Amino acid sequence: MFRNQYDTDVTTWSPAGRLFQVEYAMEAVKQGAAAVGLRSTSHVVLATVNKAASDLSSHQRKVFKIDDHIGVAIAGLTADGRVLSRYLRNECINHAFVYESPLPVSRLVVRLADKAQVCTQRSWKRPFGVGLLVAGLDETGAHLYYNCPSGNYFEYQAFAIGSRSQAAKTFLERRFESFNSYSRDELIKDALFAIKETLQGEKLTSSICTVAIVGSGEPFHMIDQKTLQEMIDAMEIKEDSAADEAPMQDEDKSTEAAPMDI
Amino acid sequence: MEALAMKDSAVSHNGTERTLYPYVTGTSVIGMKYKDGVIMAADTGGSYGSTLRYKSLERIKSIGKHSLLGASGEISDFQEILRYLDELILYDNMWDDGNSLGPKEVHNYLTRVMYNRRNKFNPLWNSLVLGGVKNGQKYLGMVSMIGTHFEDNHVATGFGNHLARPILRAEWREDLSFEEAVKLMEKCLLVLLYRDRSAINKFQIAKITDEGVTISQPYALKTHWGFSAFQNPSKGAEGSWFINRIMQTGTRMLVEMAYW
Repeated sequence: MFRNQYDTDVTTWSPAGRLFQVEYAMEAVKQGAAAVGLRSTSHVVLATVNKAASDLSSHQRKVFKIDDHIGVAIAGLTADGRVLSRYLRNECINHAFVYESPLPVSRLVVRLADKAQVCTQRSWKRPFGVGLLVAGLDETGAHLYYNCPSGNYFEYQAFAIGSRSQAAKTFLERRFESFNSYSRDELIKDALFAIKETLQGEKLTSSICTVAIVGSGEPFHMIDQKTLQEMIDAMEIKEDSAADEAPMQDEDKSTEAAPMDI
Repeated sequence: MEALAMKDSAVSHNGTERTLYPYVTGTSVIGMKYKDGVIMAADTGGSYGSTLRYKSLERIKSIGKHSLLGASGEISDFQEILRYLDELILYDNMWDDGNSLGPKEVHNYLTRVMYNRRNKFNPLWNSLVLGGVKNGQKYLGMVSMIGTHFEDNHVATGFGNHLARPILRAEWREDLSFEEAVKLMEKCLLVLLYRDRSAINKFQIAKITDEGVTISQPYALKTHWGFSAFQNPSKGAEGSWFINRIMQTGTRMLVEMAYW
């Protein structure tokens, strides 16, 4: 995407009918660290890669609990993401106060999308520079939505956003048809595999990723580091023993000491 | 909701206006859960003080697909509540997304409305009974004009609390069939008819199940007045304290007049 004379204001259309500022905002999402979401009929899993500004600093928080039945993972400007999370939490709690019941996920994402749309049609505002994967459970089932800075939203079986998310998307595209019948643990495992695809050689440990899950009878919560590391280790053991076609896995084997080499 | 509430506190030359007393009132509403859902009954009378002015008021209405609302107290306030709920259900339907407001949500919404009005010293002068079924789950609750709210297996408003609920406490069961529930309900309604002066012999019984709502046409109950004490009302009059008092007063008057 190159600079042009129609990209200064969000309220300026290009002759081709594009709003460049909105598209630039979506670029900001692509710069953020990866986040993936997967859905079965009873559970939704979110996983993110935690990038730290430097070795000295802590990791950025990318997963937020919105209510017992809804959580979000963000990619892009984390400050914008935090502000939107506060808005989502407010909407949920107001609904719960008046109606004594959880806000349906689809209605929450519509409110979020309408809020994002406002910023694409005011000359004194800018679009939010963050994409949100909204995972939630309500009486109509488990849902995973992606909310865009443009104000669009879509429902997904599985999706990935952020940098190198295409690798994760390719992985998910191969497997998504069976997600509905997955058990809770299978879903988490595939989320970890998807995250691994975005790492491109870097070793997957529980300190560089966050995994959160929501399901029937299970309120939204993040999986603690220890359990997560155990799941990753179990994954790796399976990989080493089984023959795998994906080239990524071969590279991993070469970094660990092969039995022959000792 | 804010805009609607503002209309009620109209400012006149003399100051603010707010509800002080009820004018046209409905009497008891009784509700109970039974095997397949919830049944609710009320008479169709509206009193204007001690006058039974309106005899064909419908005090039970269906709300959305899943709820029934019955009200006692000020009828105009009940109509206002129906308007609020109409708007609420309309917006809910407009989402067209597979989600719908169930009885629990409507009950809580009404609680918020009643409590907020009470806090402004401008109450909606009603006792509301909210019953419904959603996804096989039965729900029955009550909200008073001051915002007190609770759920129970059987509820009643006004006189029903004193006359009907003791019967229900003794005879209600979780697995009542529809016919048994109607019989139990009619037993309560009959007591109210005998003893509540604002009750009339014209009732509607409404039922709600997962299949939907049915509100019966108004009908009357058979009453029994053939007690021997009613046969000759003035039989015991002679020598009764009342006649003696009249004689006393009359005699005293004659004596006083003699002195003039």
